[in-house]
Amino acid sequence: MSDQVISAGGRAWVSGVRDAIPLLGGYIPVAVSFGLIANQAGFSSWEAIIISLVIYAGASQFLFVGMVASGAPLWLVVVMTLLINARHLVYAPNLAPWLTGNRWWFWLMHGLTDQVFALAHTRLPALPSSERLGWFTGAMLLAWFSWVGGTALGAFAGQELTGRWPLLNDVMPFALPALFVVLLAPRFTSWLWAAALGCAIVVALLFAANGLPNMAIPVAALLGAAVFFVMQSNTRAEV
Amino acid sequence: MAGELWVAVMVAAAGTLLMRLLPLVWMQRRLAREDSQGGTAAMPRWLGVLGPVMIAAMLGASLVPAAGTLNAWVATAVGGCVTLLVWWKTKSLGWPVVSGVVVFGVVRFLNFVVI
Repeated sequence: MSDQVISAGGRAWVSGVRDAIPLLGGYIPVAVSFGLIANQAGFSSWEAIIISLVIYAGASQFLFVGMVASGAPLWLVVVMTLLINARHLVYAPNLAPWLTGNRWWFWLMHGLTDQVFALAHTRLPALPSSERLGWFTGAMLLAWFSWVGGTALGAFAGQELTGRWPLLNDVMPFALPALFVVLLAPRFTSWLWAAALGCAIVVALLFAANGLPNMAIPVAALLGAAVFFVMQSNTRAEV
Repeated sequence: MAGELWVAVMVAAAGTLLMRLLPLVWMQRRLAREDSQGGTAAMPRWLGVLGPVMIAAMLGASLVPAAGTLNAWVATAVGGCVTLLVWWKTKSLGWPVVSGVVVFGVVRFLNFVVI
């Protein structure tokens, strides 16, 4: 991928759908797991599907059904769900320079998940402004529908699926780190960026490997940004 | 699902949507204001840095394999290297991901066959 403007040839939404296909490998197995776990936590299949449809935020949905099942107060369930999703606050402002004035963008923000943000942050600057809305609509809808569809699959047939193809369930989620590698590789343009991004990767890996996946992203991102600004100010001071 | 549980779902859903939406409104107004004042409309520098490091953090968190075995870690490392290599050769989005997943799957499958 390059930063030059590339037209999708008048079918921007198809281009968005095509670019979002790698997300399915990560979304569907996790959504199947969510459907299965929600069922085991006492939610009906339709309730699990509605939660995926309206909340649409992976980690926080697992927390939501887990806390409800354990009998936690509902106000605390809501607060914890929103706290986990607080990282989403910085996504839309990062995309704002490439979004047009169309009012549809506001509704499309429902689909601004971690992975859709990562994809859009790389692809939107490379598209002509007339194609960005269509591209984002295609990418966002495919990701959303795959999440809801995966939840339905898990809720109605999760146990049978994971029992029959255990390896598939293990392998497909690797599509997400593979996608992030591809999205991130072009950003290693200097030692400054390499240090900041490398720090964020290692810190998030350590947090997640030690059972703190929800803290991993915000803490690692803040440390990565701190490394960037500290190194930048040191370089300026030396000059 | 009881009535109050539905309310909790809807409040969580509305709160999540607002966290994704309101910062966009704020940033669009800020950019429009700077533009109308004749200045160059630009994102704050910290926000421009935070975007890529967030993606890097997502990569780090997603690298931890669900299985947690040595084979799963080896498969992650080999799959990641192949993904990077194919990206280096093709500079495309799809092929590196497909190659990485296939190689990851082969290493995991070998573990199942050997053991």
